[in-house]
Formats: sequence, C-alpha cells, structure tokens
Amino acid sequence: MGREEILNSVRKNKPELLPLPEINADLFNEDIDLLSGFKEKVPLVGGTIKQLTSPKDIDNEITMMYPNATNIVNRTQVSSLGTVSISDKTQPKDLEDVDLAILRGTFGVAENGAIWISEEQFYIRALPFITNDLLIILDKKDICQNLHEAYELISKRKRTFGLFISGPSKTADIEQCLVIGAQGALSLTVLLI
Amino acid sequence: MNHAQKAEIFNKNEAKVNWHDKALWYVREKRDNAAHGVKGWEQLRDLASGVKAHVLSNLDELLIEFETNAQKNGITVHWASNAEEHNKIINKILTEKNAKKVVKSKSMLTEECHLNPYLESKGFEVVDTDLGEYIVQIAKETPSHIVLPAIHKTKEEVDTLFQEHLGTKPSDGNPEYLTNEARKHLRTKFLTADVAITGVNFAIAETGGFVVCTNEGNADMGAHLAKTHIACMGIEKLIPKEAHLGIFLRLLARSATGQPITTYSSHFNKPTEGSEMHIVIVDNGRTEQLSREDFRSSLHCIRCGACMNTCPIYRRSGGHSYDATIPGPIGSILSPGKDLTKHSSLPFASTLCGSCSNVCPVKINIHEQLYKWRQIITKDVEQPVVKKTILKMTGKVFSKPKFYGLAGRSVRFMLKYAPRFLVYSKLNAWGKARELPQIKNGNFDQWYKEKRSK
Repeated sequence: MGREEILNSVRKNKPELLPLPEINADLFNEDIDLLSGFKEKVPLVGGTIKQLTSPKDIDNEITMMYPNATNIVNRTQVSSLGTVSISDKTQPKDLEDVDLAILRGTFGVAENGAIWISEEQFYIRALPFITNDLLIILDKKDICQNLHEAYELISKRKRTFGLFISGPSKTADIEQCLVIGAQGALSLTVLLI
Repeated sequence: MNHAQKAEIFNKNEAKVNWHDKALWYVREKRDNAAHGVKGWEQLRDLASGVKAHVLSNLDELLIEFETNAQKNGITVHWASNAEEHNKIINKILTEKNAKKVVKSKSMLTEECHLNPYLESKGFEVVDTDLGEYIVQIAKETPSHIVLPAIHKTKEEVDTLFQEHLGTKPSDGNPEYLTNEARKHLRTKFLTADVAITGVNFAIAETGGFVVCTNEGNADMGAHLAKTHIACMGIEKLIPKEAHLGIFLRLLARSATGQPITTYSSHFNKPTEGSEMHIVIVDNGRTEQLSREDFRSSLHCIRCGACMNTCPIYRRSGGHSYDATIPGPIGSILSPGKDLTKHSSLPFASTLCGSCSNVCPVKINIHEQLYKWRQIITKDVEQPVVKKTILKMTGKVFSKPKFYGLAGRSVRFMLKYAPRFLVYSKLNAWGKARELPQIKNGNFDQWYKEKRSK
C-alpha cells in the first residue's frame, strides 16, 4: 500500500543531500555546581527534594512525608517499606490502588531537574504513572549537566522503555491555572543520598 | 468564511479577547525567560534546523532505517499515504483486537486525519485524555491551539460542561476541583481501555524507538494500561540519532510553555511481553510540501506552538478563526499547501512582523513563507474586488511622487473636514473599531525640507 508510494514520492521530491551537523557539546558547557543546580530545578518543576545525611534515615523520612501511605511498592534495596510486591504476573491494572512507589533513579539532570528512570527500576511500566505518589532515591554523585551528557550516559542501555521524569504530573489546561496532579502521580519527591 | 470574518466573531467578546491576548503573551514571556537561561540557545536552534534539513534531504533512507530497527524490536510498522488509509489501518487493528474502547493522547496528526469521528462512526468509544483535548471533545469542538487546546474556553464554560458530562457540582470554575474530577473520570477510562493511541514527538532512525512528551502523564497511562499501543506519526517526525534528542528536548518545552522539559519524556523501544506496539507512518500531503522548495522547511516544525503565542494576529483572533487543524503562523504556511482555495486568506492573517520566525526553535522562516504564499495566492485565487481595486490604485499612487503628494494632501484634508460618516465608512478598514489620529498641518516631506534648510 502506502510504503512504496511514500518512499517514491520522497525520492522524487527531496532536495540534494545536506550534511548532518555535529553536536559540539563544548558550546553548551557551563561552569555550574551540578548538585545545587539540580536541587534548585526540582522545586521549579513542582517536585520536592531532600538531601539525607545517612541512608539509614530513608525509611523515617518517607514515613514522615507519606504517613497515610499503606499500599507501597518498593523497588529499591535501601528502603524496607514495601507492602505490595510485584512480579511478572502483576497486571498493570493491579496497581490501581498503589499509594506510593519508591524507585531508584539512574541519574539526574541539572539543567531541568529531570531524572532518568527505566523499566529495570520500576518493572511494571505503568507504575511511575499510576501510583498516587512517587518517590525517587538518587545518589547525589549521579547528576549530569545537561541532556547532551544525559544521552551519552544512556547510550549503552538496554532499550525497552525509559523516561526522563521532571516533577509530578501537571496541567494548565483550564484558563492557564497550573494544577499539580493531572493523570499521573500527584507528587514527586526526590531523596538525595 | 475567511479568517477576518471568523476573527470578527471571536472579537465580539472584548473581555475574552483581551484575556486570550494576555494569557498567550505571558506564555511567550515564560518562553523568553527559559530560552535566555540556556547557554548557546542560538547554536541549539541552528543545530535543530540543520538536523531537520538533513532529515528532509535523506528522508527515504532514514524511514527505511527506522522501519528496520523498529521491526527488530517487535514493533509493527504501517504506512499510510493519506488520512483515509491512516484511519483504515487503525480501524483494522482495532477490529482484529476486538477492541471497543480507545483512549487517545494528544496527536495533531489524528486531528488532521479526523480519526475521532471516523472511529465513532464505526462504533468505537474514543476518549481524548489530555485535559484540554477532553474539554474540547465534550464541547464538540476542535483544539484552538496545538499545545493549549482549550485556551479559548473560560473556566466557567468548563464548569458548565463538566456539570453536564461528569455530573460535577457548580464550582465557579475551580481549576483544582475540575482537574481532579476529570482525573477520576479518566482513570476509569484508562483502566478499561482496549487500545491506546498516541502521537509521536520524535522517532529515531538509529534505534527504531520513539519519544512521546506530556505533562499530564496521559500518554503513558494509556499506553501502559492497554494491551495495544498505536503511535501515529507524520514522516517528518524522524531524527537520525538518539543523541539528537538532546537538542530537541532542550528546545521543545522551553519554546512551548517555558518549562525546562516536559514532566514525562517517554522513550518507547519495545513492547512488553503479551502487548503489542504499532506505528503508523503517514504522508498526507507532506511529500508534496517537500517538493516545494520555498515551503519545504515548514516540515521542520516540532509543534511547540511558540509562533502562535507570539503572533499579534493569533492572540487577537483565536485559533478557530484559522479554520485549520494547525492554526497560527505555522498553520498558515502548512494549510495552503493542502487546499489553496479553502485556506487562501490565512497567509494574509499576519503583519509579517517576523516574530514567529524569531522564536521558532527550528528556525523556520515563517514570515517569509507567508509572504511567498501571498504571491502565489494573488495569482491563483480570485481576490475580492475592493481589495484588488484599492491595491491597484495604491500601486499607481506609489509609483508617481507627485500623485503620492496629492493623495496625501487630500487624505489629510478629508480626515480634517469630511463628515464622520464618510471617514468611518465601510471602505475605510482603518477606521473600524478605532479612532483615527488627529491630523496636524503639514507632512513629513515639508517638515524634513524645513529642517534641512535651517
């Protein structure tokens, strides 16, 4: 059907080959403190960020922040608060009532407060979206400057599904008023260790 | 009705127009702040434009590379020459899956193909899940902006709509309450949907994967909860390598809303076990636009909407006045390529101030293309008699300095002494809805000569 027709039409109509420009990452390098840059950006995109002095404080901190969370999916080694376990038998719909998901972030991006998370970390793709609240634990050493560096860092990953997540879900579709909590998680907390 | 006539309807509610104008200008200012905070912003724009120009010059090879890699990852690839084929392909997938309920996230392409009415006519339930799109869907309207689909609606109007469709309580248009009610309603739709349809922001030839950007998380809620995910893309969404996303994701949200990045930038590469992923690659007039040297670069567009937010005409005429899937400056250079007669008034809906070209993250020379369409349209499409006559007269006056001086003197005389009904008659569009400036004695020419002789 369409395939040959489209390709032939492209061949007939396209201009002469133009060179593909090279990205010179040096142009975008800035002399900034990555950690403080990242810590500034997370609240700007609607998230909450806390730096812990010891990984031992993680569970205390989470319990204080989310005292009412009962259905908790924990996908990290550093917390023991999980109450709902997931496996390859879990259907995404089973996660409908999850109050809190605790995930490990791969790295953060200082320029935009985004964190790369991938399927290995949340296992069920729907989890970071369907959970009521989302908490990501991130090592404070794992912060890069900008997206050019970020794509370098994920260039060797196993490609299934992954995302940059920057703050909680939000919308301004009613008269441009910003409302936190649209279709995805209502809040995003980042714990730096 | 042409653009000016439709704009007149929008302008009947002055308070609303003023709000619309200011709200969009505020978004433009947020864009400026975000852009100024990025070192090398202009170089980023140059890179983006260069990558897109390369893509268009190598599109056939890149499409094949993308298809091969996507198939390797277990994604099914479909090709559609036009809207009709696109809709049929989707109907076929839905029928094979025995689907009843479909959730959609924002896709201007499916709007362009009029997918919703088509699927509804086949008996499927289709729900738009982006809040703005949901609002226009239940209002039985079309999006008036590509990033802010319901920007033309007041919160009170949304309140009334939700009372009718969701049974909400009157809330004077409380955005938190209304958003939360929509969230609850849409959750039930996500949980019961058989198939999710999304758009594609970027498709990567090198990996066969694609990226979808949202703030609400609706594309992901749909795609991960339904067993089948169909992603629809125009052929121009392609980029060669994943590293190029670094350029485009840095530009997209900053240009669109002033955010440093959208909340979710989801990278889809492989379906999960037991699920299906389909991609529909659509032409629908794009290869024809590719053939037009002057207008080719309009295919660089990444649909950020910055040209709409900055446009003095768009802000004061509203997206619906363009009567096109993509409104605003970029729409006005895309639409005439699809139907020159229907959209012949759009390239004139501009002051040619060039602001659109200045904010465009992929450096499309939008205002120059608007000017070029005007040259074609005045030759190919019959223009109104009044406009033709006036322009002919103006041309003559401008070509003869003496005649020009005489015309200036008589206009000044008229504005000073002629009765109101004559000055503000239908023939004088400049006197519509505003007072003309007071006329002083003398003119620029005299003033200049006097100054020089001193």
